Amino acid sequence: MSNSSIRHPSSYRDPSGFIFEKDGVLYRQVNTIFREDYELFIHSGCYEKLVSKGLLIPHETIHENWTGSDEWYLTLKPEQLAFISYPYEWSFDMLKDAALLTLQLVKEATAAGLILKDATPYNIQWHQGKLLFIDTLSFEKYNEEEPWIAYRQFCECFLSPLLLMHYSKISLQRLSLAYPEGIPLAVTKSFLPRRSKFSLHTYLHIHLHEGVAGKKRVEEKRKIKFSKQKLLNLVNSLETLILRLKSPEQTTTWSDYYEEASQRNDYLEQKKKIIEGWLDKAVDIRTGADLGANDGVFSRLLSARGIPTVAADLDPLCINNLYREIRKTGEKYIQPLIIDLSDPSPAIGVNNEERNSFISRLHVDMILALALIHHLAIGKNIPLALIAKLFAGMTRHLIIEFVPKDDPKVQEMLQQKKDIYTDYRQERFEEEMSKYFLIEEKQGVPGTGRVLFNMRRIV
Amino acid sequence: MMHNWLLYIDPGSGSYLVQVLIAAVLGVGFFFRNLRTYVKSIFSRSEKTPTDNHPSA
Repeated sequence: MSNSSIRHPSSYRDPSGFIFEKDGVLYRQVNTIFREDYELFIHSGCYEKLVSKGLLIPHETIHENWTGSDEWYLTLKPEQLAFISYPYEWSFDMLKDAALLTLQLVKEATAAGLILKDATPYNIQWHQGKLLFIDTLSFEKYNEEEPWIAYRQFCECFLSPLLLMHYSKISLQRLSLAYPEGIPLAVTKSFLPRRSKFSLHTYLHIHLHEGVAGKKRVEEKRKIKFSKQKLLNLVNSLETLILRLKSPEQTTTWSDYYEEASQRNDYLEQKKKIIEGWLDKAVDIRTGADLGANDGVFSRLLSARGIPTVAADLDPLCINNLYREIRKTGEKYIQPLIIDLSDPSPAIGVNNEERNSFISRLHVDMILALALIHHLAIGKNIPLALIAKLFAGMTRHLIIEFVPKDDPKVQEMLQQKKDIYTDYRQERFEEEMSKYFLIEEKQGVPGTGRVLFNMRRIV
Repeated sequence: MMHNWLLYIDPGSGSYLVQVLIAAVLGVGFFFRNLRTYVKSIFSRSEKTPTDNHPSA
């Protein structure tokens, strides 16, 4: 590999090709070993069809070997993504739609004489307002006599977490962090209630699947015969099952927040007005994030300006509602994600380089952190010094709201715990933030003791 | 024939076999569903028959 291009640490599994970075742009190399399958993918019209349906990321073909590799056949330059996210940061309906997208790809591919050779949610990313497939080298020549090679992977990566959330009514994104290669069937089966066996499709794809796949048997040389119709039956059955699954719908702490907050005078409107004024003056903001986004009211102040914005919140239901809203409106610039800022997604995988931590991925020009600080400082006991460092590591511009201790919301929190937060005062907050940021403006939100700050990083 | 070098993901011992079993079960299900649709279509066709037989002008 030449000095100017760096192979991506997560791109090592598939011999068909790999992702590399050159001058800040990500490319995909197709290796000669995959030439025949890739040509079929293109010449069958499958690529064209998937791109025109908005299911697959489009690319340009470049006939230059930038990696210096002997295996080089072609270089692809896919449309670049604003932000990489992982399935353990997605809400239920995001994962559900990713699963349905995967099944749709299997059907589209087989119609063109190809098959999807892997079924991992890591091949799906958020791009311009929706999830789409990014691994152009996942399609290979279809042999109708073979069963689906990625069937188990699909069941473990998609079906398992969805079923567990459906039956338990609990958001279990974190399980996918513990099992990045998919939740093993035996684990899923042991956590599912007995009544799940009475759902035919759940019984087949989890209980029976685990029963047969889990048994040690003498290697059978018997030829297994499959057919396209059988594959379609299998895929339709998975689809039927997934369409029936429902997100954990119980009301969480934050899902009613704005409804309640909006009753407090015109608090939200006042806040919006101040922030809009500051955003009008801000220059050079190309990427943004709204941390503690709730239903995305403030994320939209950024996204409405065409700024790709990550809307992160620790509440899975808020993020799921935001996702459903975006799916309806077709908004292109908000990316909803479930993130707990007191414990953001870690780096995982080989050398801890395969999937990067949330903090190392989130480098944006502007962060909004509204009605958030008391949850970190008082809710999670994080010292103001660490909070200042956290924001300084992620952004150049920060619009942050300080919520004083006498605020009714803080008082509510303090009812249940001892007030050990002697340091939680506006002066101390300003002092700690000033170690990294220049406070350019501050303004109280009328009718409350809350203060908004507009800051620019200095170090 | 599947190229061996492409088997970079482990399909799982038994995951191939189970697909055959599941396809068989689903096949039976789809057979009966199709049969039901077919039978229904016979009845609905016979109901429509008189209107279909209007003499053409």
